[in-house]
Amino acid sequence: MTAIRTAPPQADRKPAVQAPRRPTKKRTPAWMYIVILVLSMFFVGPFVWLLLAAFKTPAEWASLPISILPAHPQWQNFVDALTSMNFFGYAGNSLFLSTIYSVLITLSSAAVGFGFARLKAPGKGAIFLVLLSTMMIPQILTLLPTYVLFSQIGLIDTYWPWVLWGLAASPYMAFLFRQFFAAIPRELEDAAIVDGAGWLRIFATIFLPLSRPVLITSFILSFTWTWGDYIGPALFLNLDHTTLAVAITAWYQDPHGNVIPTVQAAGAVMYVIPVLLIFFFAQRYFIRSNLGSGVKG
Amino acid sequence: MTRKWTRYPKRTFYAFIAPWGVGFVLLTAVPMVYGFLVSLTNFDGSSPRWRWVGLSNYAELIGDGDAWAALVRTLVFTAIVVPLSVAGSLGLAILINRRLRAVGLWRTIFFLPSVVPVVAMAIMWKLVFNKDSGILNAILGVVGIKPVAWLVDPAAFYALIVLMLWALGGGMVIMLAALQGVPAELEEAAAIDGAGKWTVFRQVTVPMISPVLYFQMVTGVIGALQVFVQPLLLTPASGIADVGAAPDSTHLYMVQVYQEFFLSNRFGYGSAMLWVFFLVILGLTMLLVRSSRSWVYYEVDTEGGAR
Repeated sequence: MTAIRTAPPQADRKPAVQAPRRPTKKRTPAWMYIVILVLSMFFVGPFVWLLLAAFKTPAEWASLPISILPAHPQWQNFVDALTSMNFFGYAGNSLFLSTIYSVLITLSSAAVGFGFARLKAPGKGAIFLVLLSTMMIPQILTLLPTYVLFSQIGLIDTYWPWVLWGLAASPYMAFLFRQFFAAIPRELEDAAIVDGAGWLRIFATIFLPLSRPVLITSFILSFTWTWGDYIGPALFLNLDHTTLAVAITAWYQDPHGNVIPTVQAAGAVMYVIPVLLIFFFAQRYFIRSNLGSGVKG
Repeated sequence: MTRKWTRYPKRTFYAFIAPWGVGFVLLTAVPMVYGFLVSLTNFDGSSPRWRWVGLSNYAELIGDGDAWAALVRTLVFTAIVVPLSVAGSLGLAILINRRLRAVGLWRTIFFLPSVVPVVAMAIMWKLVFNKDSGILNAILGVVGIKPVAWLVDPAAFYALIVLMLWALGGGMVIMLAALQGVPAELEEAAAIDGAGKWTVFRQVTVPMISPVLYFQMVTGVIGALQVFVQPLLLTPASGIADVGAAPDSTHLYMVQVYQEFFLSNRFGYGSAMLWVFFLVILGLTMLLVRSSRSWVYYEVDTEGGAR
C-alpha cells in the first residue's frame, strides 16, 4: 500500500493539510470483532465448503442430515479429477494462453502508456480522452460480434484471438503505465538523448526496467484474468483446445451426464490454487491495480 | 522551437500508441460496425443465403415481450446489486479502517473472493446453495427454516445477488484508500464543532470520498448490466451449452441475447439486441454523469488529471 507511484489526488494538497493522514483510531469494542468474524465466515465459508466437498465420498456429500466433515479424506477425488479428463493438458492450455496474452498486453500497454506520458504530438490530449472513454465500452458487447467476425475469417479454435487482444494493449493498463512514466524526471531521458539514443531505445533500456512494479502488476492481473476467463475460451475454442476454466465445467460427469460434485470440487480446488498462490504472494500488486482505478482523475 | 521539434518527432508518438490505436479500430470499432451490419440481416450464423432485412429486427425487438422482460429484470438486478455492493464495500472499509488486531488478515479475507475466477466461484456457491447437501440450508435448518431450493425460481435471483456481493472486496480496497485520504483534521474539526459521528460521516467523509463513490457506481452499473456468465454457471446444469437452463428469475438481458445467438441461431436479431443494449448502457452512463454534478465533490486542485 505504501508504494503507490500513481500520485493520488491527495498528493497535490498543501503541506499544511497534509500532516498526519491517519484517521482518529479508538480502541475497537469486542462486538465489532464479532461482526468481523461473522463477515469473515461469509467470505471464507464457500472456500471451506468446497474443500470439504473435495474430500468427501459421493455418499457423504449426499447424506441427510448432512455430514460436515468427511470421515476419511478422499484423495481419490483428486486423482479422478486429474485423470478422468486431460487435466494437465487443459492446465497447459490455460498456462500457455495466459502467458502469451499477459506478456503481449503488458508490453503493448507499456508502449502506449510511454507514448502518452513522455512524447508529444498534435491531438495527444484528445486521443488520451478517447483512450479513457474506451475503458467504458462494455466488453461483452464487442465479444459476440467479434466471434461472428472471427468465425468468418477462420480464427475460431485457434489462439490467434488472444495474440491479437494482447497486441492491442489495454486502455486500463496503459493508463497505469502512463501514470508511472509521467512521474519520472526528465533528466533521465535527457542524458540518453544527448548520447544519441532514439525513443525506442530510451523506452526499452531506461523506462521499461524502471517500471518493474507496474510490469508485475500488469502481468499478474492479465494472467489471473485470462486464467479465470470463462466466456472467451467457451466461445472461441473447441473442447479439445479449451482452457481449464471451461474444462472443469464440461467434464466430471457420471454416465448419465450428471456432474459428480465431489470430483468437480477437487478439480475446482486445483484450478484455483495457482490464483490463490499468486494472490498471497503478490497481494500488494492486486491492491495497487485496484487503487489505480480508484484514483482515476 | 527547432530543438523541441527534433526531440518529439510526431511520428514517434503515433508509433508508440499504435498498438492501442490499431487494436481499438480492428478489435472494437470494426466488430461494433460489423455487428450493426449483421443486425440489418437475417443471418443465422452459418447459412450463406442471408439477406438484408432493413430495420425489421429492431421493429420486432420493440414488440418482443421476452426481451423487454429481460431488460427490466436486468435493470432491477442492477438497481439492487450496485447500491448494495457500493454500500457494502464502503461498510467493510469503514470496519477495517480502525485500530484492529490482525487487520491485514481481515483485509485479505474480505479481498480474496474478488480474485477468484468466476467458474470456481460458481462451483463453490452451487455447493453452498445445494438444496439437500448445501451448508446454507443446514445453517438455516438450525433456526428452523425449511430447505430452500436456491438455484431455481424464484430464489435463484437472490442467490445470484449473494454471489455478486461475495466479490465486493476489490471495491473495499478502493474505499479504504479513499477513507485514508480524508484528512483527519477535517473530521476532527467537525467533531469539535459539535457534530455527531453520523453528521461527520455524512457531511465530511462522504463528500470527500464522493469521486470514488461515483467511480464505483459508474463501473458497477456498467458491470452489472452485462452480467451473464454467472447466471449461466449458477444453474444445476453445467455451463454454456445449456444456455436455456438459466432460471427465469436470472434470465438477464445478455442471457437472452446469448439465447437468440446460439439457441435460436438468430445472429441478426441478437446483434440488434446488442446494439440497443449498447445505447441503453450509454444512456444510463450519461444519466449518471449528469447526476454526478449535483453530488460529487471535486477539490479544486485535483483538476489536473492529464498532468
